Amino acid sequence: MSNNKIKYKPVDLHIQKMAEHHGSSAEATLEVLRDLDTENNLTPENITETARALNIPAHQAYGIATFYSMLSLEQRKKVLRVCDGPVCWLKRAGETRSAIDLAAIQKGDLTVERSSCLGLCDRAPAVLVEEEQAGPVEAEDAIKLCEGWRGTPTDYSKPRPGEKRVMTALIGIVDPDSGDSALKHGVYDGLKKALQQEPIAVLTEVEASGLQGRGGAGFPVGRKWRFVASEKRTPRYIVCNADESEPLIFKDRVLIDTNPHQLIEGMTLGAYATGACEGYIYIRGEYEYQARRLELAIKQAEEKNLLGENILGSGFSFKLHVHRGAGAYICGEETALLESLEGKRGEPRLRPPYPPQAGFRGQPTAVNNVESFCAVPHIIKNGAEWWRNLTDDPTPGTKVYMVLGHVRKPGLFEAPFGLTLRQVIEDFGGGMLPGSHFNFALCGGAAGTIVPPALMENHIDYSSGPLKGVTRDIKVMDKRWTQVISMGAGSFLICDQTVSPVNFLRELLHFFASESCGKCTPCRVGTWRSLQILDQLTAGKSTAGASDELKTLAELMRDSSFCGLGQSVGIPMLSALTHFGAEFARAENEHEPIIRG
Amino acid sequence: MAINITINGKQIEAQAGQTVLQAAQQNGIEIPTLCYHKDLSPSGNCRMCVVEVKGLRFLQAACVAPIYEGMEIQTRNDKVVADRKMTLEMMLANHPQDCITCEVSGECELQDLAYEYKAQAPYWGSKGTRYPVNSDPNPFIRVDMNRCILCRRCVSACAEIQVRNVWGVAHRGFDEQIVAGAGINMLEARCESCGQCVAYCPTGALSNKMNYGAARAHQVKRVTTTCSYCGVGCNFDLLVKKDKVIGVASNANASVNGLALCVKGRYGYDYIHHPERLTAPKVRRYLVDGTVKPKGHHDVTTGQPNPWDWVESDWDTALSFVAKKLKNTRDTFGPDTIGVLTSAKCTNEENYVMNKLARQVIGTNNIDHCARL
Repeated sequence: MSNNKIKYKPVDLHIQKMAEHHGSSAEATLEVLRDLDTENNLTPENITETARALNIPAHQAYGIATFYSMLSLEQRKKVLRVCDGPVCWLKRAGETRSAIDLAAIQKGDLTVERSSCLGLCDRAPAVLVEEEQAGPVEAEDAIKLCEGWRGTPTDYSKPRPGEKRVMTALIGIVDPDSGDSALKHGVYDGLKKALQQEPIAVLTEVEASGLQGRGGAGFPVGRKWRFVASEKRTPRYIVCNADESEPLIFKDRVLIDTNPHQLIEGMTLGAYATGACEGYIYIRGEYEYQARRLELAIKQAEEKNLLGENILGSGFSFKLHVHRGAGAYICGEETALLESLEGKRGEPRLRPPYPPQAGFRGQPTAVNNVESFCAVPHIIKNGAEWWRNLTDDPTPGTKVYMVLGHVRKPGLFEAPFGLTLRQVIEDFGGGMLPGSHFNFALCGGAAGTIVPPALMENHIDYSSGPLKGVTRDIKVMDKRWTQVISMGAGSFLICDQTVSPVNFLRELLHFFASESCGKCTPCRVGTWRSLQILDQLTAGKSTAGASDELKTLAELMRDSSFCGLGQSVGIPMLSALTHFGAEFARAENEHEPIIRG
Repeated sequence: MAINITINGKQIEAQAGQTVLQAAQQNGIEIPTLCYHKDLSPSGNCRMCVVEVKGLRFLQAACVAPIYEGMEIQTRNDKVVADRKMTLEMMLANHPQDCITCEVSGECELQDLAYEYKAQAPYWGSKGTRYPVNSDPNPFIRVDMNRCILCRRCVSACAEIQVRNVWGVAHRGFDEQIVAGAGINMLEARCESCGQCVAYCPTGALSNKMNYGAARAHQVKRVTTTCSYCGVGCNFDLLVKKDKVIGVASNANASVNGLALCVKGRYGYDYIHHPERLTAPKVRRYLVDGTVKPKGHHDVTTGQPNPWDWVESDWDTALSFVAKKLKNTRDTFGPDTIGVLTSAKCTNEENYVMNKLARQVIGTNNIDHCARL
């Protein structure tokens, strides 16, 4: 209590050096903690030392260390993360997990953990061995996996019939690890063209293209950039949201893996248009491979003067960094991402102010999705008119879609907007699996709508989603729920008759409950309670009124939550309850565990 | 700049830059709050103050939502009340149902709101079984994280008012928890036991240890007074039960200090009824007897009257001894053989008078103050 009891002791030298290596600022907290975690040294004492070395309160460092799921205060061996997300669940990841648990006991040098989603949905059931991505890992592959086998990545070099490839055009053609190859195939042509023009011309072109953000909300990219460009304060920042942590979504990983220079070009164009001088790619910690690929590409681009000081003699300079997350879905929410980028807990910020006014370090910042940036070089190169003419749908341009689940050819494809679910399944997904017939689809992403066969012919774009035309009029809203299909980030998980919507919703809530940041009451407790109800429903131990309680919880989370995460948890819940109310009622009344097929 | 808004159908003129809550309060419209406190930066995380704004998709937290021209706000319609009630029930689900033995019952913001909104504690939830009760060894502050509703006022109070940064938020989602430092105990995490976190805690998660069980809120009389410890002049309320001071509570109207107090002011009140407290001046027996100062020093208790004994006296007697001795010393050995040390417990005026005594009456510049740290 008295000061003479506290003996001064210099900061642990090892941690001091680590901190200096990462720049000794509060923003480096996550990096230092990640390094400590790699050394298996994440103890309360070392966390306190880290805080001292970085001149921040100890609770702040501890809050960060306990926030991100990839960090652990437990002693661990080689870490094996088995995906626990809904897509991998559909592919029986539970059996894989049991087999891996057994194998790990045999091997003895492994620590097995769960992960909410690894972003490897096209390789489900997926596993992350340290930083190596593996999949599909069936139960019988467990021993092989422990011995170094990693499965095969999905090959997207051949377009499916009916695809219109723009952003994915160079898959399999360009060598992703070669700057020369990128230049040879016309990557950076857009940048070269743009540097001949005034920044305002580039901005106007993006605005004219009508490009909408591809992260899910569909906010016009040009308008966001205009906000940033019109702010007087400098420096301004460009941030790429590559925190793709939502189950069903893996397009950003493929885009980075197959053509990282396209993203770099897009970000550089964004910087040129908005007058930013520095950019950050916030990539999820599970994408270590992709992060390294980006770092290599950035180095190559710098060597060729396509990045860095005075790009191609234009007088325009742009510095690009890669920043790794450490496992948190909430960091895909743009303000939480910025908090995380500043080395804090990834909790959403109050809005307003919005990032274009006050974002990273309180400065004007444009945060865009990987795919949004990837579209920009093509718009600049070929013109806004060309982009608009790619489709007849009111939403211009093409979109990278994902189709997963019980279809013959799951994976990724590029096509214009306005597809119907039937087209997604029949034309691009190769039809349902033999013996399967369509039961429902989760559209958009984990926070999307659950859609029954009746809506198979509805066109899907940003205007078909649940956020348009929302009113407080309950009658209107109840009717709307029967019609909405989320575009979201463009993924469709197709489930056949063997999957009960009740079981499936339980898996989704398992994800959301694991990933809620805990800041606001409705989401923190609402996701937890919803999961509890669904656990009881699926186990046949439900009490009367369970469906009604789920509906009330969904509405509370949608209306009263702090950020988009909590607000959108209600979307799959309300759509499932609307379309499959009978199934929920049966689960509520029959008291039989729901067996999955 | 004046802005026109409508609250519950009533036209109101408010100031640009105000939040919905500020505009409402200014016009006498009540909006319930929990995580919001006027002294702390708002965080908008408890969602108690949600209001409905025409044209906006979701309910807005009044404590952080800025007003704009033409804004139409409903602060108490069915939807808003239902959501607030349910949010309260979410909190109560993980809050122990122990108001009957809780030390802050009767002055608990959560209790008041649960009553007002007729919120029932749901049958599900952890019911406050997650953390050890009275989990921190801090001698003044009683910690029961089961009662915590994660409003984070303690975190803000510690960071913004006391600037000690002891409290923080750790873990996430349902497991989110308020921790001291890197999950250690408060004193190790640099706590100086000021109790600001207790003053700002809206529930019984953080309470006072010394008077636990001493009295209910309705059993005490609050007597506003000025702290006797130092010259800052903080105001607070003495909690008096049956003419006995059983504790100290911050007084929201204290103009100097607000709710803030230091460890001495908030917890150093036990001297008031201490059996060894001096209530009258005491003088050595040999002085009273007028005998010669004995040689050596006594530390033997013989049971017999001893010239070194303290004898209770009155102020006139005691002060006359002091004056006589000071005068004698000054006249015999010179004024600079005397030094005067004043106290931080004195006011400026009292210190000024001591300065006059030292320099003009005694004639020495040997005067200093105990707060020269």
